[in-house]
Amino acid sequence: MTLAEKTLTTRLDELRGDAPTSRHNARTIAALTANPGCARRALLDAAAVDKTVIAQELGFPPKFGQSPFAITRGNSFEAMVKSHGCAELLRLLREELGLTIPEVGYHDLETVGDNATNSVRYQRTKQLLGQALSSGQGTMFDHPMLRLEIAGATAYLEPDVVALQIGGLFHVVEIKSFAIVDGQADPAQVASAARQSAVYVLAMRELLRELGQPPELVAHNSILVCARDFTNRPTAALVDLRKQLAVIGRQLSRLTSIDTLLDLVPPGATFTPGAGLSDTVAAIPSRYAPDCMSSCELAFACRSEARTHGSVDTLGRGVCDDLGGIDNLDTVLALADGTLDPGPEHADIAEMLRRARALRLEVAR
Amino acid sequence: MPTAEALEQRITELRAQVRRAAGSGDRTAARRLRAELRAAETEWDTAVLGAPEQPAPVRQLAAAVPVREHVHRALTLLSVPAAPKLILAVHDAFFSGELVPARLTSLRRDEERSFRAAPYARPYYLCAAMTTDLLAPARGLLAVSTWPLAQRMVGPLSPRVDLLTGAIRLARHMTDHGCTPAGQRVLWQLGVSIPGATDGKSIDPDVVLAAAERELEVHRDDDTQQRADAAERAVRQLADPAAQLFGVRLAVADRRRNEA
Repeated sequence: MTLAEKTLTTRLDELRGDAPTSRHNARTIAALTANPGCARRALLDAAAVDKTVIAQELGFPPKFGQSPFAITRGNSFEAMVKSHGCAELLRLLREELGLTIPEVGYHDLETVGDNATNSVRYQRTKQLLGQALSSGQGTMFDHPMLRLEIAGATAYLEPDVVALQIGGLFHVVEIKSFAIVDGQADPAQVASAARQSAVYVLAMRELLRELGQPPELVAHNSILVCARDFTNRPTAALVDLRKQLAVIGRQLSRLTSIDTLLDLVPPGATFTPGAGLSDTVAAIPSRYAPDCMSSCELAFACRSEARTHGSVDTLGRGVCDDLGGIDNLDTVLALADGTLDPGPEHADIAEMLRRARALRLEVAR
Repeated sequence: MPTAEALEQRITELRAQVRRAAGSGDRTAARRLRAELRAAETEWDTAVLGAPEQPAPVRQLAAAVPVREHVHRALTLLSVPAAPKLILAVHDAFFSGELVPARLTSLRRDEERSFRAAPYARPYYLCAAMTTDLLAPARGLLAVSTWPLAQRMVGPLSPRVDLLTGAIRLARHMTDHGCTPAGQRVLWQLGVSIPGATDGKSIDPDVVLAAAERELEVHRDDDTQQRADAAERAVRQLADPAAQLFGVRLAVADRRRNEA
């Protein structure tokens, strides 16, 4: 660890203060890419602060999370695919991806001798994958433990399965219980699964780098296992992750250059729950957009803030783009009804707004 | 038998009486009147809908056979270490008596405790399958202590070999003793991943048997070798008889390193 990294970690620790921490997982890391421009979220995530607690403290408890039914269904589907030493998965890999009959090696990494601690499992994963690379033995690794550095802090990650394919190429397997109907799946769910898999691929590549192996041994395609049609039978498809890998890789490297964002925080301020918290959070600019609702625990707080300030962010990115840089609703309304004289840079937008207002008044009459 | 109309009138009267009794705080009377009301209602049901069917006799539970006995039977049929889910399915399909899933969760721990308290006091123990590399208990797999050590070992190829062996054993049992729908279902679960074992519509024990034998040929030798090596190592390294049955656990060396 270099000196700069060390001071960054210390500064983030100071910033976190006594706030409760949360661990990153592939879902949260993948969600980092959802809103790259939000400094507030970047700082909170880099400091590994539990955003749910912060949101509650600010008076905006997150109203929904993952549905327990969805979680149960996902878990039982995963258990079904993986029962009897991943028998179903073997069948799929043989049928769809040409895995040969002799390749059935199965390693369970969920516990190491009844020891389920992250670091032990990580060491064991590293050891087994190293052996697999040198000997060519071993096909499936169940619940391996991977590691990824998030702004100096270590996050442990757990992919569903990692399969060692023919030719010594590792593939990340993601088991999801949503359905592929007639070869089509919900694009949003596939995209989120792809983002998660990309995080695992990055972590796997990191592990191979540590082992002194070329990271390209982890394929940029992941294997997505889903339910077929309206049955509970699994089916598999290859998903190309190159785009997601680029996006998340860039996002993670941006997180490590977080020190510029740290200057935004007032000196001595922390995320410790208490009286000063709302001031500290307010001092860090957020970038609210309606799609934050689906990925960020602070979304309700940020939305309320954006509404109080009359920010146009609440209307969504499309409207923001149309308004070309005017960020306040009052300005927009004043330009539209002519009470504010537009500067030369806003002349055309003002023209557009006035025409829209005239049309609206005509319709309303 | 009073008519339905008379009964309806009586029910209305009784309802009012119950309400009055409950309102005045006379609990005993209220209870007696309610019983009468129920009886009148049942009579009304009989008068209008006809006599109720005799309820089916409650299925007599098999004499209390201990859980371990049930599990032992299922495991002996399979002859390979198996997960509780498979044990339950095999038990339901091939044996009588009731086996409650919840009873399986603490079984291995109870057996270990019993063995440590009085070693070899029982003819057999339900113990852990052991991993070939660490000689640790394999997660969620049960085995029988009277099996040779090599049979209780689980190496990288063993899950597959055990699945194939289990399918072969069940298929043989079904050809000898006949197929039940429940048995076919279990065999289907196991056979679905074996190439050529099912045609997607029906399941035939002989076909499953042949397909499983064919695939087993590929893996059997390597797996047997790995298990035998591990068994030999276990005998050499584990002096404690309990460890040979229940595996060794890895202690946590330094908890603080996990806190990152």
